[in-house]
Order: sequence, then C-alpha cells, then structure tokens
Amino acid sequence: MAGKSFFIDTTRCTACRGCQIACKNWNQNGASMTKNTGSHQNPPDLDAQTYKLVRFSESVDKNGKLAWYFFADQCRHCIEPPCKDAIEAYVEGAVIHDEKTGAVVYTDKTREANFDEVKDSCPYNIPRLSEDGRIVKCTMCFDRVSAGLLPACVKVCPTGAMNFGDREEIMAMANKRLEVVKAKFPNAQLLDADEIRTIYLVVDDPKAYHDFAIASAASGIGRKLAMRRMTKPASRALRAMLPG
Amino acid sequence: MKLTRRDFLKISGAATAGLALSGMGFDLRPVHAFSMELRTKDAKESPTICCYCAVGCGIICHTSTQTGQVVYTEGDADHPINGGSLCAKGAAAYQIAQNDRRITKVLYRAPNASEWEEKSWDWTLKEIAKRVKKSRDASFTAKNEKGLVVNRCDGIVSVGSAALDNEECWTYQAMLRALGLVYIEHQARI
Repeated sequence: MAGKSFFIDTTRCTACRGCQIACKNWNQNGASMTKNTGSHQNPPDLDAQTYKLVRFSESVDKNGKLAWYFFADQCRHCIEPPCKDAIEAYVEGAVIHDEKTGAVVYTDKTREANFDEVKDSCPYNIPRLSEDGRIVKCTMCFDRVSAGLLPACVKVCPTGAMNFGDREEIMAMANKRLEVVKAKFPNAQLLDADEIRTIYLVVDDPKAYHDFAIASAASGIGRKLAMRRMTKPASRALRAMLPG
Repeated sequence: MKLTRRDFLKISGAATAGLALSGMGFDLRPVHAFSMELRTKDAKESPTICCYCAVGCGIICHTSTQTGQVVYTEGDADHPINGGSLCAKGAAAYQIAQNDRRITKVLYRAPNASEWEEKSWDWTLKEIAKRVKKSRDASFTAKNEKGLVVNRCDGIVSVGSAALDNEECWTYQAMLRALGLVYIEHQARI
C-alpha cells in the first residue's frame, strides 16, 4: 500500500506535549476554554482548536502497580475513511482523500454535513464542530507534507515518539520496534495497523490508554445515513435525466 | 440501530449496481492530487535561540517579507542541540509574537481587592521602586553577628524569569545583587 503513515511509539513519549502545541501553531488554532480535571491532560478533550491531544491515563493493575500512560491522540487517516462517506452523503467533494499521501482532509464544505452523523461514523471519536460550522480535525499537515516537510507534530518531537514517512518504511519501523519492545513488555502491540495510517505502539491493554485507542465497536453508520446514501445515486440519475 | 461499515457498503453497493453503467457508482478511490499553499513558502528564515530554559534549542523564525510579521516558528533542524525538535514551551515561541490574548497593558490588583484595574507604566514602575526600597530598608543587614560587613537584603526573593534570554538574565541578576539580594533563583536551574 502506498502513501504516508505515522508511527507513534508511546514507549518513547514523555508527554511534553510539544506535538500538541506545534499542531496548534501550524494550524493557527487559538485557545479553548479548559478546566482543571486533576490531570495534566489539558484541554480535557479534543476540540475545534485542538486537533492533537496528549492523553494522560492512570491505572492500577491487579498487582497494585501504578501505570501512567501517554497517548498522543489524533486522526488515524483511515485507509477507507467512514467519515468521508458520512460527509459526502450530504455534500460531494467536501473531503479530500489524497491519492499520493492517503491524507483525509476536510474542506469548508463540511459545513453542509450533519456533524452528529460524522462524529458517530468515526471509530476513534476524532471530528469536532467549529464555531463557524465547519467540521475539523488533523489534516496530516497536508500543505507541509505536499511541500516535502514533516507534519508539525513529527518535526517537533524531541524523543522519537512521533514518526512519519512512506507507508512501507513506517510499517517496517513499527514492526522492528514492536519486536524490541516485546522483549520487555510481552503485551506490546500495534493498534489497528492494517486499517489506518496513524499506527500506535502500546505495551498494555489499549483501553488503559484511551477508550478510543482502538476502533470502537459502537461506531458505525446510522440507518438514516445509509438510507440517504443508498437513495442518492438514484436521485442524482433522475436529476440528470430531467431537462434543464 | 447502527450498521457496520461492511453492511453499509453492501447496501450502497446493491443500490448502485444497477447504475454502474451510467457511471454514477459509489467511488471509494481517493481523489486526485490536491494542493494547498504552504504558509511559510516565501517567508524569510532567521535562526534564533529559544528564550526559555538553559538547554538553548535552535529555532527558525519565519517572517513575512511583505508585512514583517512572524508567520511561524519551528525547531532548527541544523542546530546541534535539538536537531529540529522542541518541547511544548519552545514550540509555543510563535505565540510570543502572535497571540491576541497577550496582555499589553499593566493590570494591578490592590491588596484584598477582587478586581483588576488598568494602570500606566509610569505609576507601575514608581510603585515597584517604592516597594522594593521599603522592603530593602526594612530588611537590610549591613553587618552579621560577627561584625563582618555583608550588606544583605534578606527581605526580597527573586524567582525568574524563564522568559528572559541569557543577556537579560545577566543584567537582571546584576541589578538584584546590587540591591543585596542573596535568594536569586531561575526556572532553568529547577
């Protein structure tokens, strides 16, 4: 499979949140209202100004050992993005699925889509609604990548947790690192690697990192949306046949 | 009821099969190459050093040749210290120049007051000087118990500033030592 991919090695992440800030700066996203939830995770969730968020999760295993995991959450740029279907059921051409990189990029036309259906269609709970009505998320720094630069979050990473490159190279890097990490952490795994372009390496149950670390079974395409999608080609054909 | 993606494709596939000849099928292939203008394309690049901690990471500052405004900052890939990477503070360097939420006027909250009030720089600097002098005079130790001249100002502590660069820090600590301060700390040492 061609195109680009991210490899996010959570074992190297120190949660400095450089990626979160670099993302904000490159995309010129502003501040968002936040609150102290007793965690360093700030803001508490992704929002229209925060396409990338370092999640902090504490858990205690059955031996009473504390684990503190960091998960640099972002769009997975699915190989077959369900959000594209959900948006384009309402408006054609609102999502760019770039042939060269595989990036899934939302355009301003997403204003005309139904946000709740788009959010529900995402197995990773990524899309957010901006104040001006656009649906927004990580763009894979499409403009930077097209110009031969690394995405802002990868360029900034001081520890090597964030990696980006051609799909084959990234898969090789991820598998190689998985073998190394497995020696110490037998539960180490790559998450949904065959389906998406943002591949995480974790050393424990993915749920200990984030509820949506792996594709959520609850997500999917609503019945109404499927019906809409189903009838759309027919209505378009009908329109094409009508004069004027 | 929710449909899985597989079901969804099945349904839409069945519906569009009859229309395949008219070329109005459900196209899953990515669209053709799409391009976007790079914000830093024509910007002037100036190397600088991060103003925060003692690590001293290199930063490239991209400045618009038209407006002279900073359009972006990022790690300097050629810098021996950081090789292009930055932490959250260094990554936020852009906002030193560009952030409409930065406070540009002096705000003062009087003791026990709950509201902030706007003050002039003239009033503020005089007030600081007045209070520094008052604390210094009240806590100054000219000689210790052994009778040695120490000229210490024990009543004032300085913590900071992480937002000063090396040269500004030198000037700042020189002023503090001239006042007799001994409790001088900086974020970069912590």
